[in-house]
Amino acid sequence: MSWFMGIDLGSAYTKGVLLKDSEIVGSHVITSGADYRASADAVTIELTGRANLKLEDVLRIVATGSGADSVSFAGQKAGDIVCTARGIHSIFPKARTVIDVGSLSTRVIRVGAEGTVTNFAVSEKCAAGGGRFIEVIANILRVDLVDFGPLAARSKSPIEFGTGCAVFGESEAITRVSEGVPKEDIAAGVNRALASKVSSLVSKIRLEEPCAICGGGAHSATLIQTIEGELNVGLLIPTNPQLVTALGAAVTARTSATEETARGHT
Amino acid sequence: MHFAGVDIGSTMTKVVLIDETDNLLSAIKGPTGPEHRQLANRVMAQALEQASLKIDDVDFIVATGYGRVNVPFADRQLTELSCHARGVFSLFPDARTVIDIGGQDAKCMKIDNGRLIDFVMNDKCAAGTGRFLEVTAAALGIRLEDMGEISMRATTQVQISSLCTVFAQQEVAALLSRGEAMENIIAGIHNALAIRIGALAQRLRIEPRVVVTGGGAKNTGMVQAMKNKLDCDVSVPEEPLITGALGAAVLAREVYSKTAGEHGKPSTGPRRLEQATFFSEERP
Repeated sequence: MSWFMGIDLGSAYTKGVLLKDSEIVGSHVITSGADYRASADAVTIELTGRANLKLEDVLRIVATGSGADSVSFAGQKAGDIVCTARGIHSIFPKARTVIDVGSLSTRVIRVGAEGTVTNFAVSEKCAAGGGRFIEVIANILRVDLVDFGPLAARSKSPIEFGTGCAVFGESEAITRVSEGVPKEDIAAGVNRALASKVSSLVSKIRLEEPCAICGGGAHSATLIQTIEGELNVGLLIPTNPQLVTALGAAVTARTSATEETARGHT
Repeated sequence: MHFAGVDIGSTMTKVVLIDETDNLLSAIKGPTGPEHRQLANRVMAQALEQASLKIDDVDFIVATGYGRVNVPFADRQLTELSCHARGVFSLFPDARTVIDIGGQDAKCMKIDNGRLIDFVMNDKCAAGTGRFLEVTAAALGIRLEDMGEISMRATTQVQISSLCTVFAQQEVAALLSRGEAMENIIAGIHNALAIRIGALAQRLRIEPRVVVTGGGAKNTGMVQAMKNKLDCDVSVPEEPLITGALGAAVLAREVYSKTAGEHGKPSTGPRRLEQATFFSEERP
């Protein structure tokens, strides 16, 4: 019996997954805040504490995400695209494409039969291209993130944003609110804008079905429906979409540790 | 005779009144209004008051800027590009390049004798506009107008790696909490914006004299960063916000004299000193 951990330190959230051999025995998500090191520590302490483990009991820890360098105690780092592909492969082995709507960017990844990355497209690191756009507009509309999707779902005529920038989009939303446009139409407009970004990324690499969706953005059923409508495909949705990349990091930890052990024995 | 230029920007409205020989009678700037953006008429009223004039004393009024479309008291609308070019030419007759750093956009214009030859513009992404300064100043908890002075104390420039304004906002807050000096962070912010605007400007071939206008030109640190980035000296008008309104006033005088010479007095609008409205074409 061995323990493995994956930590995905994203720009908005820090996610951790603990594996006992191949079984997921723990997961934890917190906001990343300004101090990435502290967030990495907090997630690790929570996961090991819950399983009554000491840090050294964990055979291998793999860090990924834009803040991976801040996880000083990780034995290994791995690219987030590779980890997302591995994570989705371990949940949906048949998935050949995965759309990851993160806070910092949106990524569309083609996944091979063994969970390897065969192609990918990434949005610019621009808030309008990722889930952050939803946070920015939700804040203006004074709506909790969990209520954003249900709100958007009530819209009958979504607005069209005249800008591709979250900051200008924020001003546009303020103007629209002051003009009396219903909040749901603005929220639905945000989903439309994101879905069209996803669609333009998809067009770069050609989508192969089955296609899955993950990342924090996949918590919103309405956003998923909007993307499905835009792409005209049904999407596979993991139970914990935000944890997929951290899971991929934990799987990477297990795979590399096992391979090294095997090599040591021969 | 009296002529007025009204420049209704996304955040500030600027009004300039001149006489028939382009002498400045008054120059007033005030908020366009944060939400309804309908305060332009108040700025006009203030400018008239300062010059001791009534709206009917003004022979011709040109409106320009983002909100120029529905100004009930204007006789003609002209683009901000022509007005900026004309305004800068009045102040610096040898100007060949104008870089306008506005709150909602950034423009670079090539001009020759006050006429616009070519231009490039960014109004797509906040990262290349004055908005970048506003947002990052707020994240640092300082006033926009203090940025320039604070940055003068910088000993080095902190690298800002995020291009996007939203992420830069987060990044500068993190830099501050990590103990980086405020002045070095601000110098880094100025440098980051100068890189974006410099890249825009270099799409036209920059020729001296270069004049920097708009709210960004009021920030000495920003002007210095532009000098470093463009590797040439730049001039800044005494009041860099009013060049568009000044150009509009001068063009009002020119349009009036030209038409007056050919056809008698040009027709003027109804001169209602009422609220200017935005987006009325979409939502009546």
